Amino acid sequence: MKRFLAVLLALSLVFTTVACSNDSSDSGENDSGDGEKVLKIAGLNGGYKTEHWEAIAKKFEESHEGVKVELTLEKNISEVLRPQIQAGNVPDIIYLAVGGEGKLTDTLIKEKAIQDIDDVLEMDVPGEDVKVKDKLIDGFTDTLITNPYEDGKTYLAPLFYAPTGLFYNANNFDGKYEMPETWDDFMKLGEEAKGDMALFTYPTTGYFDAFFYALLNETGGPELFNKAMDYDVEAWKSDEAKKAFEIIGDIAKYTHENTVSQANGENFTKNQQLILDNEALFIPNGTWLPGEMKDAPRADGFEWGFSALPKVSEDGDSYSYTFFEQMYIPNDAKNADLAKEFMAYMYSDEAAQIIYDKSGAVQPIKGASDMMSDDDPNKLFYSIYDEGAKAAMGGFASAPPVEGVDLTSGTGILFGTINSVVTGDKTVDEWHGEVVEAVEKISEAKQN
Amino acid sequence: MNNKSLKRFIILCLSPALILFSVFMIYPTFSVFLMSLYKWGGLSSNKLFVGLNNFKILMQDENFIRSFQNTVFLIVVVTIVTLVIAIMFAAILVKENVKGQNFFRVIFYIPNILSVVVISSIFSAIYDPGQGLINSFLSLINGDGFKSIQFLGNQDIVIYSIAGAMIWQAIGYYMVIYMAGMSSIPNQLYESADIEGASKVRQFFKITLPLVWDTIRTSLIFFIISSINLSFLFVKIMTSGGPDGASEVFLSYMYKQAYNNASYGYGMSIGVIVFIFSFLLSGVINKITKRDTLQY
Repeated sequence: MKRFLAVLLALSLVFTTVACSNDSSDSGENDSGDGEKVLKIAGLNGGYKTEHWEAIAKKFEESHEGVKVELTLEKNISEVLRPQIQAGNVPDIIYLAVGGEGKLTDTLIKEKAIQDIDDVLEMDVPGEDVKVKDKLIDGFTDTLITNPYEDGKTYLAPLFYAPTGLFYNANNFDGKYEMPETWDDFMKLGEEAKGDMALFTYPTTGYFDAFFYALLNETGGPELFNKAMDYDVEAWKSDEAKKAFEIIGDIAKYTHENTVSQANGENFTKNQQLILDNEALFIPNGTWLPGEMKDAPRADGFEWGFSALPKVSEDGDSYSYTFFEQMYIPNDAKNADLAKEFMAYMYSDEAAQIIYDKSGAVQPIKGASDMMSDDDPNKLFYSIYDEGAKAAMGGFASAPPVEGVDLTSGTGILFGTINSVVTGDKTVDEWHGEVVEAVEKISEAKQN
Repeated sequence: MNNKSLKRFIILCLSPALILFSVFMIYPTFSVFLMSLYKWGGLSSNKLFVGLNNFKILMQDENFIRSFQNTVFLIVVVTIVTLVIAIMFAAILVKENVKGQNFFRVIFYIPNILSVVVISSIFSAIYDPGQGLINSFLSLINGDGFKSIQFLGNQDIVIYSIAGAMIWQAIGYYMVIYMAGMSSIPNQLYESADIEGASKVRQFFKITLPLVWDTIRTSLIFFIISSINLSFLFVKIMTSGGPDGASEVFLSYMYKQAYNNASYGYGMSIGVIVFIFSFLLSGVINKITKRDTLQY
């Protein structure tokens, strides 16, 4: 009997081990079995859809004999990839922005599980006589998003850039109201519009990242912004940083009363609809907003308008945060060299044109905005930097996670608390205090 | 077949189930306990053993405590309200010979076959501060001066709004279970009680309730455990845990810590607490609801 039980236990142990272990035989390059090399690309099926990825994959296969590109593009790509990565089935390229739902990229950065791509920047763009680094618009590979460890190396490759700022119904500023130049003008407009419509709304608190980063550049300049993004406690305690919190506190007083109820994953488009229905004047967003709401009903004569943030003072600077997405090669990618070739190809004129034609997304390469057709309404949005607005880029540096302290996600301490400021459950001082306390904890963890 | 052979035969028959149970239940549970002892992001092999430190942090984590309070609140309120209404409706439909009993049975059961996603969307629409059913109705009564109730935006009432959706979803299912139990109670017991002059209320408490007590007891434990899981889905869809964490429950907080905050080990320590809490709660409920079984 004892022997039988021992055999049974041994069997179950073997079964468990086999069922739960990684496939150790799969340590080499991905191979389809018939000699074809397989380049596995996994990414988000987001606002730009997937047609451009499919077209580019096809072009890449044509130019690389014996290579098959296998695409996995899902709306919930984080949830799809997480168990696969845990099981050792790691894609060669992942396209998923920092801060995206599920925070897979953020986790991989924190776990130092991404390869540096400095050699990609030094590669020639396929079919062109120019290096990748010279093709990219200046500044895109010089941010805490692309270089999260501040070690002088680039880890994440920038993709699909778009200015962010305030969207509005241009019709409201055609004689009815005057476009505010400064934040003081903005609040005055809030008083003026009272009874007619609310001054402000936001889709979810997650949209305050771009908004807050641009605002922090306005109140404290790029130097303070960079220090703040590097968890410098004194920078967060400074009067300039506090000013950014106070401006959001002032805006909270003029925020549409239904905003907080609708500021979640299920109902955020109702807040976007407030702009289309002339129930609110401004909403922070990126250039994908008009596309996202293209089928929604709207007020008579509605016309999208877009601006950078108002200035802190008349002689101050107006900023628009440049949102861009990223792709990267995980440490455990099996076809890293091929992945690097694909990355370089993504910055070719041919790929950029395909991307724009199929999705409307614009690559951060020199001359990409010239590809935009004159009748593309997005051209207006991309022109804000030509009209005097300064570009803000980057985000928080990589830091070790601190248990229980979520500072940066959409529902975290820095942005999620804005709901409480709007409802009056928390004061700006309390919010600022909580942020400083969280930054202190993360800063301490970073130094240890 | 001698005794020894019989035992072997039983073990042989049980072994596939035992193996599956070990692989898919015991091993993952053990893994969660193990992972809760590490500081780990969840993706790399870079793990740091921290012992019980994750649990120490949990005890001081105000957001976890709030999510725990919200979960307990939902368990208590949703369970009590759902079971009381379900038993009441079941008693009325079975014992009062209401016309169209089967129709009501089906109507009440419908929410249970709808997915939580659909129910959450329905309730999001009902709670809508602009065109939502409740606010529209209230504005009709109150006229122009009516100020919309922010069911999902007011931190003081958002958890009640979630509870409302959960109750609506569950009532029909439990009502049907209790109806089945009540239908099998012999009518003679009620006829005798009628002759003795017992009121309907007295009949309910002295006959109906004791005779379906085992059904209630079993469903109570089942419902409490399922409430913990369901609350996560409702919260994730309807409020994302907001505003500012006011509707966070401990499974949604676990999810956020494990994934959004790259603290997988910490998230697993919340999982361990959920496991122990569910286990203890089931035990307590089992103990306090234990009565002698009545036969009929």
